[in-house]
Amino acid sequence: MTRLTAAQVAKGDELPATQVHVTRADLVRYAGASGDFNPIHWNQRFAEQVGLPGVIAHGMLTMALANRFVADWVGDPGAIVECGTKFTRPVPVPDDEQGALLEISGKVTDLSEDGTAKITVTVAFEGKSVLGRPVALVKLG
Amino acid sequence: MITDEAERIAALGPSPRRPARDAVNPAMINNWTEALGDGNSAYPELAPPAMVQVWTMRGLHPAAEEHDPLAAMSAVLDEAGYTSVVATNCEQTYHRYLRPGEHVSVSSVLDAVVGPKRTALGEGWFVTTRSTWFVGDEPVAEMLFRILKFKPGNKSTASALQPTVSRDTEFFWQGTKLGELRVQRCSACGVVRHPPGPMCPRCNALDPGYVVATGLGEVFSYVVHHHPPVPGRELPYVVALVELSEGVRMLGELVGVPPDEVRVGLPVRVGFRPVGEFVLPVWEAR
Repeated sequence: MTRLTAAQVAKGDELPATQVHVTRADLVRYAGASGDFNPIHWNQRFAEQVGLPGVIAHGMLTMALANRFVADWVGDPGAIVECGTKFTRPVPVPDDEQGALLEISGKVTDLSEDGTAKITVTVAFEGKSVLGRPVALVKLG
Repeated sequence: MITDEAERIAALGPSPRRPARDAVNPAMINNWTEALGDGNSAYPELAPPAMVQVWTMRGLHPAAEEHDPLAAMSAVLDEAGYTSVVATNCEQTYHRYLRPGEHVSVSSVLDAVVGPKRTALGEGWFVTTRSTWFVGDEPVAEMLFRILKFKPGNKSTASALQPTVSRDTEFFWQGTKLGELRVQRCSACGVVRHPPGPMCPRCNALDPGYVVATGLGEVFSYVVHHHPPVPGRELPYVVALVELSEGVRMLGELVGVPPDEVRVGLPVRVGFRPVGEFVLPVWEAR
């Protein structure tokens, strides 16, 4: 797989921003695909009973979307050597066709001499960021 | 109790490696990348690194897992009433791609248990575990995972803030319960002062007494509070600094007067409003 080379990347580069609609159907698919069957991610009644604003997206799904965003940019998912985040704000997913609209953007915030780039990602829902400082370390080609 | 159990579980160290139910396989890779909408052509010949945790998920009917520190700690917290869970942090490190046919195993250790903390969701404990995934003896990925185990429906209630009582202010709050507005007065030189303190600012005597004020005064200054929200109060509300006829100034909420009708010099009298275990003095127009 071709991945971006260090020569193609500069500190301060913005990654092409993207938007992702996360619907209830996506949550059901992700629950099955990930093995995370916690009912807060698909059962409105249960989610409200345990004090949540409604059915919320899996944090790991949101993080994986951020990861995919970085992988699409660098061209090779294997280039990501580390990633981490805080789940600072739940993403309530309404029971409609649009679901929750996530706006994902990112920036190269560091570039070290060994060709490792630090990407700081922002995932926003309704104008507020839902992940706390998601950062990915990417080994450039 | 919770802390003792946390120490005990942490002291057990990394759990024995638990093998994944299935080998890394293209069917699950396809399900996962489809769910993510990820059409990268490298899949499913390779597995997405971010999928590592998926391989060792325990299915719909997980067997009792006596060696898993997260399960053990969750059971302790469930028992204590902290039955709800949300994930709060995740940090993953990937050493290489996994390929279909490889069989991973996972070992976890309890890293930290912190609480009880008051959070927006309710009172809860943060539980941090560290996991390592292996193929054979080769570590292929690591993860720090933190969850919040919380008591559902236990949000901090929006009751009004209560005053703090000290030895200096005790007489004041005892007075309001009796419908008396008490003002501190130096027993040595007779000067009145407010707010209460241990020493007379004029003669330095450490002998405070009090007088019961008439409760009549005038607005000396005021603010209209629009933001931020304050527990137990409806916005906007007026806080007035009132100069009492005894000569001291005292803060309190001005009630019954719309914010745009308040003015400096407005004659007021004290009223008393019960809040929880306290009675707060408030100002009313007269």
